[in-house]
Amino acid sequence: MWSFIARSLEITTIFLLASIGELLNQRGGVLNVGIEGLMLLGAASGFLTALWSGSILLGFVVGTIVGGIFGLLHGFFSITLKVDQVVSGMGIWIFAMGFTTYWADSYSGPLPKGLSPPGIGGYLSPIFFLAVALVLIVWFLLSKTHLGLKIRSVGENPSAAEATGINVARTRYLCVVVGGLSGGLAGAFLSLDYFGIWGHLLTGGMGWIALALVLFSLWRPFILFAGALIFGFVWQFSISPEAIAPGLGIPLGIIRMFPFIVTIIVLVVISTPKFRRKWGLAKPAALGEPYIKE
Amino acid sequence: MRLPRLKLEKVVALKGWGAAKVSIYSIITAFIIFSAFLLWEGANPIEAYRHIFSFAFDPRLGLVSTLHRSMFLLFATLAFILPLKAGLWNIGMEGQFYLGTVGAFAVAYAWGDLPSGALIPLMLIAAALFGAGYGVIAGFLRGKLGVNEIVVTLMLNLTAFWLIQFLIVGGPWAGIGECRSRPLPDSAVAPEIGGLPFTVFLAIAISVIFFILFTRSKVGYQIRSFGSNPSAARHVGMSPFKISVLVMAVAGAIAGLSAYHMWAGDPRFYMIPQPEAYKSIGDLTYWGIMVGLLCLLNPLAAIPVSIFVGALKVGGPVLIRRMKLPFGLDLLFLGILFLSFVAFQFFYRYRIKRVKEKR
Amino acid sequence: MRIGELPNLIQKMRSTLSGKPERRKGRVRESLVSGLKRGETVLEARGITKRFPGVVANDHIDFDIKAGEIHAVLGENGAGKTTLMNILFGILRPDEGGIYVRGRKVEFKSPLDAIDLGIGMVHQHRKLILAHTALENIVLGHPETGKIPDMRRAEEEVGKLCRKYGFKIDLNARVWQLSAGEQQLVEILKALYRGAKLLILDEPTSVLTPLETERFLKSLRAMARGELAIVPFITHKLPEVLGVSDRVTILRKGKVMKRLETRKATMKALARHMVGREVLFRLKKPKVKIGKEVLRVENLSALSDKGILALKGVSFSIREGEIFGIAGISGNGQHELAEALAGLRKAEGGKILFRGKDITRASVLQRLKMGIGYIPSERVEVGTIREFSLVDNIAMNLYFDKEYFKWGFLDRGKIREHAKKAILEFDVMAPNIDTKAAHLSGGNLQKLILARVVPRTSRLLIANLPTHGLDVGATEFVRNRLMACKKEGIGILLISEDLDEVLQMSDRIAPIYEGKFVGIVPAKKARKESIGAMMAGAPLEKTRKREGSR
Repeated sequence: MWSFIARSLEITTIFLLASIGELLNQRGGVLNVGIEGLMLLGAASGFLTALWSGSILLGFVVGTIVGGIFGLLHGFFSITLKVDQVVSGMGIWIFAMGFTTYWADSYSGPLPKGLSPPGIGGYLSPIFFLAVALVLIVWFLLSKTHLGLKIRSVGENPSAAEATGINVARTRYLCVVVGGLSGGLAGAFLSLDYFGIWGHLLTGGMGWIALALVLFSLWRPFILFAGALIFGFVWQFSISPEAIAPGLGIPLGIIRMFPFIVTIIVLVVISTPKFRRKWGLAKPAALGEPYIKE
Repeated sequence: MRLPRLKLEKVVALKGWGAAKVSIYSIITAFIIFSAFLLWEGANPIEAYRHIFSFAFDPRLGLVSTLHRSMFLLFATLAFILPLKAGLWNIGMEGQFYLGTVGAFAVAYAWGDLPSGALIPLMLIAAALFGAGYGVIAGFLRGKLGVNEIVVTLMLNLTAFWLIQFLIVGGPWAGIGECRSRPLPDSAVAPEIGGLPFTVFLAIAISVIFFILFTRSKVGYQIRSFGSNPSAARHVGMSPFKISVLVMAVAGAIAGLSAYHMWAGDPRFYMIPQPEAYKSIGDLTYWGIMVGLLCLLNPLAAIPVSIFVGALKVGGPVLIRRMKLPFGLDLLFLGILFLSFVAFQFFYRYRIKRVKEKR
Repeated sequence: MRIGELPNLIQKMRSTLSGKPERRKGRVRESLVSGLKRGETVLEARGITKRFPGVVANDHIDFDIKAGEIHAVLGENGAGKTTLMNILFGILRPDEGGIYVRGRKVEFKSPLDAIDLGIGMVHQHRKLILAHTALENIVLGHPETGKIPDMRRAEEEVGKLCRKYGFKIDLNARVWQLSAGEQQLVEILKALYRGAKLLILDEPTSVLTPLETERFLKSLRAMARGELAIVPFITHKLPEVLGVSDRVTILRKGKVMKRLETRKATMKALARHMVGREVLFRLKKPKVKIGKEVLRVENLSALSDKGILALKGVSFSIREGEIFGIAGISGNGQHELAEALAGLRKAEGGKILFRGKDITRASVLQRLKMGIGYIPSERVEVGTIREFSLVDNIAMNLYFDKEYFKWGFLDRGKIREHAKKAILEFDVMAPNIDTKAAHLSGGNLQKLILARVVPRTSRLLIANLPTHGLDVGATEFVRNRLMACKKEGIGILLISEDLDEVLQMSDRIAPIYEGKFVGIVPAKKARKESIGAMMAGAPLEKTRKREGSR
């Protein structure tokens, strides 16, 4: 039971890391649909680094940095080149699909014995606490600091923000790089800690759920945290249902569908007129639109 | 030294030859970058491309395969293009393809003793209906509630993958051993025209029909209006809901049809293979996004581009075997091509002009 | 695209990443604007000239403003006001001439330089962040706001400013909840908090109700008493602003036509200088027999986009050949009324009867087929499709007609013919009918919309802000066309923010305030002052009484 909870929290960690970065991103007005790609790249590069260097820590670092690089790339496309943000995000994702398959699939398999991630009580990784800390930091940043106010302004009305002297491009780049870093870390954690194995398209859709989580959360870090907890549970349940409800007898294929169906259901719920309004008000007004200086 | 000031001049949606140039440039750039990778792997790029294309287009070797895969890709591309013309991003071709598989196989297993003349049309209809139904879910949610169709179609993709897994791995359709399905009855196999399964011509026909539809029909006009300016379209009475549902239904149907083409049109299959294999076919549908964007959503242009990409897909593994290169090289090319295309998107909208400084 | 352009691209990226190198850390240069004495010249512009391709927007303009003075700048659209304003605020740089602050020549590389020197600007279209509170907006980007802003202290300081000038505003309200007048105050406070001693105001009273205008003008006087210098740039509502200004400069075609002290100016003379001819152009209202009832609205209500009841039960009717004018400041429910009548917005309550039939539940398409035409207020976002050609735009009102679309296919020949005729009739200027709508000017776009809608309208036309933002020529054209529709027996609902327009064109006028009609007044009996008062909520009886007592 404890093992199930621990694994659940690990999934929560992954969701949290991937989505808190995107939340910051989106508050700044930049939409990155390629979170799945960031995670894949982080996972692959982290895994391969650990494999070749023998150090899991290095794997984490490299995975995070690779994520940051691709976040920067997305920023370059969206902010400087003013390409459609959806296209750019998908580009990162499809590139990641192709690149990681080419690069890492030949190494599919587990990490060699002896390379084990650190854990508290042998189970819970310190990265979980890092993720929680990150949530708190982002919350504090956005609601209490001047930088946070600037970020929010850039996401709501970039031309008004620019008029007060804020450098919109620089602020957005900052958000996008942080988003990339945390997405990469999420991926690295997935391959190095949760799985310890590499396989084809390891992330299996988690990046997309993370994106949905940001939408559900009304862009509020604490709601995001709650969502990540719930979905962490749902995901882990879909993998090992017998830990909670032994003898349920639902075939593997069907139960693996759960997280995705739940995601759709929640998306539908928040789109109903009642929630619609609240959601519309919470949405950063300039989200997804490239900023063009007059 | 003073660097010249730049001005971004907005171009109103570059069309025609100018836009095609952008696509071509991105393909060339992708080739250059890919060649760099090849060099790094110790392979001669020119030789590599020779291997790929000579195999792919040789009638004795890869031509049939190439055309088969190309048309599969064409189906996926058309399924992507139609909704995007109306402003909707259909990323769900993979899932719609899987559902088409379910429909076609369900009919084949249930009524396998019917003659081909009856069975095949029924399979096609079922494949189209199942795919359409799957597409409608996203179209309905988007039209009625404005739910983001990208996330929905993706979730549906992942769900459908597990559905097939459930059916064939120890499930009702499991075949003998190794996570495969039972084979299709002989009457289900696609008849050939000139050595090619008839579905090849079906794909091309649909492509031509789309082209005519987009440019000359009332529905095409509504779809284009909606894609360019949904508010304006609403103001003249077009229904966002009806259009969303319509395009997603038709797109889903087309992706569903591709299932029959794939499984019943390729002698190496005639069944659903194990998860790794059917997933890799499913991954092919993402190429549809690439081809669709490269062709600027023009269904006729999609035909040659699909063939080109199909050649790469078929010739790639041959290249990999012959020159001992890592697996997945073709997927790598796809990724590079997409990024290159994204970067070049910039030139669709803007021209960089030097500002003449007056002193 | 040329490969040679690549190094520039890299340079661009570098400059984006490093931020604007020319920007100085924005502390208001106290040395320059502190200790201003009343009557001292704060800013002087000499010989300002600015050219754009094909036009000289500013032609050797001289201008000066003293501390404690309100110096208004008057001019029509296209007179060069906006250009001059942008130059004074650092958005544009002049080709010739210079700006002198307290005698010292300065150059603005960007508005931030102007802000540093104590110049603030209040834009016509608010540059505020609606989702934030007023206080957050005021504090945002201020160089002295710390890493963690002390909101309480800011509130105190801003509160002091409010008391000093008599501003009444809830600093902790979200800006989207504030009225137009209050939003303007927030922008002013923002400039003042940043240390502005000179305020440039862009059309400050254009969206205010008469009551808000009064309050605003009082604040202006208070600010001037406090040694601030204020330059309002205006086009309409001359009397009010002139009432508080000390001097007025009139611009026409880029040149300074006249500069006078306001006490020496008369309304008529000012208008003449502005336009160069007798301004009060009387529209020729054709004698039209008003026919039977086309539209009857009973107690119609509708919600705004935010879900609040914006239209609170209006009732009226329109007859063939009649123009029914709705006068009101934006945001009082007229937009919701227009959309409800067009079918774009659900009627929360009430009934709409068209020629006797109940169409309350009818769809937009059904109403279009019945011959109801809608001219939307936003010509670029909604009224036209910019990527489409002129022909395709006109086809927007043809696609549902079997005459033009047989068996689901376009009858290209017929559509083009119809388009050609319509474009000619409505004077849409473009190289050819396949030109994309994006290349058209505002006036031509509006004519395109008329060309699209009017020939397909047979009974009822809903015109939502049809002359908004158009130059004089286009405005005249649109108004004449509407009159032509009137002659054809089409009933017209005219929604306009231009009170003169409504008064001159309508047969009956309904001022709207907070979602309700304050009254319905026949044009003959309508007086500008009373309609204006009703637009701000004064009830019908009170105004009649006022008139009677004169």
